[in-house]
Amino acid sequence: MSARFYLLPTLAFYTAGAVRVLIQALSRRKLLNSWTVGATLAGFALHTASLAQRWSEAGHFPAVGLHDGASFLAWAIMLVFLVTYVRTGLEALALAVYPAAFALVLVAGLAPVPESGAPILKGVFLPVHTTLAFFGYAALFVAFAMGMLYLIQEHELKSRSPRAFYYMVPSLERCDTISARSVAVGFGLLTLAIVTGVLWNHAARGRYWSWDAKEWSAILAWFIYVGLLFARYRTGWGGRRAAFLGIAGFVAVAFTFVWMMGLGSALTGVR
Amino acid sequence: MIVIVGASHRSSPLALREAIAFPRERLEEALALACQQPNVAEAMILSTCNRVEVYARTREEGAEPALVSFLCSFHGRDRDELAPFLYCLTGPHAVKHAFRVAASLDSMVIGEPQILGQVKEAYQVAEEAGTLGPTLGALRNRSLAAAKKARTETGIGRNAVSVSYVAVELARKIFGDLNDRSFVLVGTGKMSELAARHLVRSGARATVVGVRTLDRAENLAAVLGGRAVPLSALGEELTVADIVVSGTGAPGLVIRHEDVEQARRRARHGKPLFLIDIAVPRDIEPSVARLPGVFLYDMDALRVVAEANLRERRKEAIAAEAVLEREVRDFLDWEMSLDAVPLLVELRKRADEIRRGELERAKGRLGLTQEQEEALDAATSAIVNKILHPPTVYLKEIAKNGLASEHLGLVRKLLGL
Repeated sequence: MSARFYLLPTLAFYTAGAVRVLIQALSRRKLLNSWTVGATLAGFALHTASLAQRWSEAGHFPAVGLHDGASFLAWAIMLVFLVTYVRTGLEALALAVYPAAFALVLVAGLAPVPESGAPILKGVFLPVHTTLAFFGYAALFVAFAMGMLYLIQEHELKSRSPRAFYYMVPSLERCDTISARSVAVGFGLLTLAIVTGVLWNHAARGRYWSWDAKEWSAILAWFIYVGLLFARYRTGWGGRRAAFLGIAGFVAVAFTFVWMMGLGSALTGVR
Repeated sequence: MIVIVGASHRSSPLALREAIAFPRERLEEALALACQQPNVAEAMILSTCNRVEVYARTREEGAEPALVSFLCSFHGRDRDELAPFLYCLTGPHAVKHAFRVAASLDSMVIGEPQILGQVKEAYQVAEEAGTLGPTLGALRNRSLAAAKKARTETGIGRNAVSVSYVAVELARKIFGDLNDRSFVLVGTGKMSELAARHLVRSGARATVVGVRTLDRAENLAAVLGGRAVPLSALGEELTVADIVVSGTGAPGLVIRHEDVEQARRRARHGKPLFLIDIAVPRDIEPSVARLPGVFLYDMDALRVVAEANLRERRKEAIAAEAVLEREVRDFLDWEMSLDAVPLLVELRKRADEIRRGELERAKGRLGLTQEQEEALDAATSAIVNKILHPPTVYLKEIAKNGLASEHLGLVRKLLGL
């Protein structure tokens, strides 16, 4: 069975969700309703099936290369979003999550399915390292999105003439709190991902550090988040500065991901 | 048929509504009089500052002139003087109007919450006066339920439209929960006190700054459950406050750019500061709005938000109209199905008469035991009920579809009634 068998209907459901959220946003009504959540859950179930299918087909954890990486990241972002939504009822996050999930699944669908894995992909490090990293990315994506929503809402409030976003986006305080929590979770996962990545590198290549751009951007992101967390918890700093740092950190994270998925493997071979 | 005669803020000037308003203590008398009008079977009077309306159920069509003359004569006014400002609504139009009024869609400010209570009270008074019958009673139940539904299912009541509430809503958009947020009230004017009361009710803690004397600040602080400080402590308070409400009568600036800048440098770590300037002339230097993390709203800005919120409500009103549309249709269906009720009663009565007659005759011939008689009685009842069940359902159905008057005659002939 083709790896795209489940991915196409997944894309259809996420597209329907994204379109629905967009329409609701434009008509300024409640962003999510049971219809949208139902479609999303159906899409998510198919998405899970598609990843399972890929896992058994490829013979290794499906998170290598653009096809599998984009699909897995979209899955992780969706899962983190659904958990956040159930726990906090936060709807505005849908404004960022649906376009991201749609774009990533589309990219996954268009990217070629890799043939078979190199020996480096066997073993326990790949699933552990990539799962930690991708859920870290997903949490940091939420932090990034909440930072953006913070700045948008701040702009709305500063402009003193409320438009659509004023009504859709939650309070500054809420954006800040959820962003802070997501950074804390995402930073923990990112740290573990870096540690397991280094150990894996050592196990596979006999060296801890490969001096490639991906590693440097991951470390840069790590330091940005260290600074952000330190400022938050030691000096009680928050608000717009925290939002900016959260966005900057995610840019570094996104670079790491893009390098790993496409550029990196094109220039330096698998992983 | 339901009829509504009245005047509202849409149809008439305030002076006219004042002239025909019903004072609470004369409502019983007015209701009784309204019910004495020819053809009027039930009555209810809704009299608020924005509308005066007489709701009635009439036995036949064409009772509106009687209601208009009742309205005029009760207030001792000339019919020609009032008539141009009055509207007369009948049947489905009246029902729809009653639903829209209760749901505040016909109010001056869409979504205002008071009208629901006023309508409720008006029906209550009519009920106590004994002028509320089954039809207006049903109108009450259905329209109030529909109004609540429209309120919960749409956002017609969601965003604040009065300036002092807008200030609190903006504070929530910045700080989320206002519990244990601290706000500084500068000056003890009426408007700033109103905003302060809303903030305290939302859980914020007050510090009142006395501008000229501390006396009034202390009194107000006691009312708000906060503390009072002199003007010299304002700089200190700015470093800890989340919200500042300023409404002094001072001719010059009370809070300057450098005061705010300094306070933020000293203690704020980029956390938001919300400044509300409700004084005219303004108390807070407008340039502070450029400082990062500082949100400054003056009266004009608050009004802009209130207007934007009202536009949101108007958009939501479209959805609310759709909710009401369905509810009105249900009510009208129910009302029409009432047409078939007398016929159904007659049909049952006739069938039972026949049954009893035949039963008596049979009993006389057969000489049955008590037990056997009861069994026969039950069996014949069941036969009648089973035969009458389909026509009963069908009659209710055609009545609902508004075909009653044409078909009912035929049904009468067929069944020999």
